[in-house]
Amino acid sequence: MPLASPHAPPRTGETAAITRAGAQSKHKAAANHKAKRSPAPVTGGAREESALRDAIRGLEEGMVVLDPDLRLVLCNQSARRQLGWAGAPPRRGLALARLLARAGALEAAERAMIETRCRALLATAAGAPQPEKLTLGDLSLRLHRLAGFGVAIFLPTGASEGEAALRDPLTGLGNRRAFQAALTAALARPDGEVALILLDLDRFKHVNDSFGHPVGDALLRLVAERLRTSLRAADTLVRLGGDEFAILLPRADGAEALAERLVDLVSRPYLVEGHLANIGASIGIARAPMDAREAGLLLRRADLALYAAKAAGRQQFALFQPEMDARAQARQALETDLRRAVALGQFQLHYQPLVAVPAGNIIGFEALLRWQNPARGMVSPAEFIPLAEEIGLIVPIGEWVLRQACRTAASWSEAVLVAVNVSAVQFTDGARLLRAVDEALASSGLPGARLELEITESVLLRDAAETLAILHALHARGVRIAMDDFGTGYSSLSQLRSFPFDKIKIDRSFIHEVEAQTDGQAVVRAVAALGTSLGITVTVEGVETEAQAAFVAASGGHEMQGYLISRPVPADAVPALLARPHTTPKRQTTG
Amino acid sequence: MKQDLYRAVYCSRISIHGPPRRIADELRTILKVSRRNNARDDLSGALLFANQCFAQALEGPRAALERCFERIQNDPRHADVTVLEFGPTATREFPKWSMAFAGDPSPEANDPLAFVVFEGAFARAREQAGSAVLGLLHGLVRREEAWALA
Ligand SMILES: Cc1cc2nc3c(=O)[nH]c(=O)nc-3n(C[C@H](O)[C@H](O)[C@H](O)COP(=O)(O)O)c2cc1C
Repeated sequence: MPLASPHAPPRTGETAAITRAGAQSKHKAAANHKAKRSPAPVTGGAREESALRDAIRGLEEGMVVLDPDLRLVLCNQSARRQLGWAGAPPRRGLALARLLARAGALEAAERAMIETRCRALLATAAGAPQPEKLTLGDLSLRLHRLAGFGVAIFLPTGASEGEAALRDPLTGLGNRRAFQAALTAALARPDGEVALILLDLDRFKHVNDSFGHPVGDALLRLVAERLRTSLRAADTLVRLGGDEFAILLPRADGAEALAERLVDLVSRPYLVEGHLANIGASIGIARAPMDAREAGLLLRRADLALYAAKAAGRQQFALFQPEMDARAQARQALETDLRRAVALGQFQLHYQPLVAVPAGNIIGFEALLRWQNPARGMVSPAEFIPLAEEIGLIVPIGEWVLRQACRTAASWSEAVLVAVNVSAVQFTDGARLLRAVDEALASSGLPGARLELEITESVLLRDAAETLAILHALHARGVRIAMDDFGTGYSSLSQLRSFPFDKIKIDRSFIHEVEAQTDGQAVVRAVAALGTSLGITVTVEGVETEAQAAFVAASGGHEMQGYLISRPVPADAVPALLARPHTTPKRQTTG
Repeated sequence: MKQDLYRAVYCSRISIHGPPRRIADELRTILKVSRRNNARDDLSGALLFANQCFAQALEGPRAALERCFERIQNDPRHADVTVLEFGPTATREFPKWSMAFAGDPSPEANDPLAFVVFEGAFARAREQAGSAVLGLLHGLVRREEAWALA
């Protein structure tokens, strides 16, 4: 980390002013300053012209003055900003067409329109009295024929247009529109070199939800300020909306060093309105011209990089890599297939038995989702469940699983449990989840007490009161609740007491460690003891060897599941398993 | 005004590299600026430097405290800031000090007590660490009021 404090040199640059609150007055000062220093013309007319120039430069309203050949005489700072002009101010004498060609805020058709209208105006008799109005999107122009001279274009800055329309009122930074103009302008420069940094806050929603919007807003202002103080005058910083920020650097290198610093800085804690807020930042970077030359593509690629940074665990930055395009396409294809699978019913359930320890009798089956795709073959749930959760498809898939599992279980010869996995996403609409459970039970005739729902620790990260209400409503239907994959996420032992769990399933990783190390052993033993004292059933997942099974029995586990007992089997193989003699491993019965 | 009194306790790791002289100089600057600013903003507190870590307690009116904390966060001279405690308080712990200081900038000077507390603070147990650090600062400030640097 550099020792010098983050630099924020005085903003003398003519660029990037688009985004900065309060930049206006400084620019005026800079303009005046320059005017004073330029070699002073002394003759009367020249002095007047210079005074006039100063006045026009300082105008809030944008103004472009063109001579009778439509060559530039003057273009003030406000006009440059509104037109999306980046870099040093345009030279005097520049042809209007060239000026417009580099005005990032204008579409090609709009540029042509301005030029046509200016020519038409020139052709009218000198001193045409009325200004002509021209509205282009949210930019509105007035064109004046100057008597005995060329044309003046005014770009007014009203409350709803110009300046204010480019600003994010919450943070005072530029907004998405300002960003688009700046990006287009930067890409139109001859070198076309830009680094685009997209920054997303991690856990911001959590702060907003738990402390309220005013605190969230204040936090966004602090984030904006931290970002602002670490940038240079030529960099453009905007808030795109929500907790998304974007930064444009007028050069491609240096983006990584800056991103690293920003992730660190933004992820440091905040004291805001009496609360401690811990958030993080994820960053995606795409660079022009190497990653893309066109604004839309550059933005998409920065977004892919941001997505990769988040997928890699957040609070880090990622540079766009060409593979990300391929990955995005693969994901897109998977999404299409997955949607089709839901429509065509390409899913199946397999069932894996859970047995009591040490008796060895089957007490239930966990229903496991299988997707057989004609082209892909068997697709692993690890591959498609996260995507299904992300795009919300998990809800209809989860409902199908519930219906199917209950219907199948109702046909079994023994009244054993059927365990169904429920995604945290399904908990975001508790009423719908409860409805799905009710319908599945009603249509199959399965008693609620034979259904067990397995939830993961991520469910507990949600609003605790709401989650509790849903779990209690499920209990009221006789449905049992199991905590799945225990020990892999964020759960703490204290949560086991705050939520009404009937069962804890210790993640398979612990039993696999049993033979190698003692850590896994200690965990299994401790959780088994705790479960016993709290009256919660403890199931050990992933039991594959006799030694592991013996350990489960010795450490006081109540149930186990794993390849040692049986792999997951298709529904039609369940009756045979139920009929089979108890699968108690030998050593266990003796021990 | 009383109910607006807040206290924050945090620790962080120094990120100034260089010989002890250099570090001592930076610390002196930090203290000088802190004392000037804190006196102006009605803030008081204590700063400990040991084992290449800082621990700081800062107390005063909430808005001023939050602004000061934000400046400190933007300071590249340290990193890994962990807030151990933040909330309203009835009384000031360090009413006499705009910023008391305890510590020895030489890397060999490891205060064993501070070491234990920092280890705990950067690990999980935050609730306990907050009061432990506060207690430590308190003890040190009393013990070392005489030789505080600068
Ligand atoms: C560990 C540490 C503690 C600091 N404590 C304070 C403090 O209590 N008050 C303060 O004003 N600045 C403190 N600073 C310095 C601030 O980070 C920042 O440099 C300073 O407030 C800037 O003040 P100025 O704007 O008056 O120059 C601290 C810095 C560090 C690294």
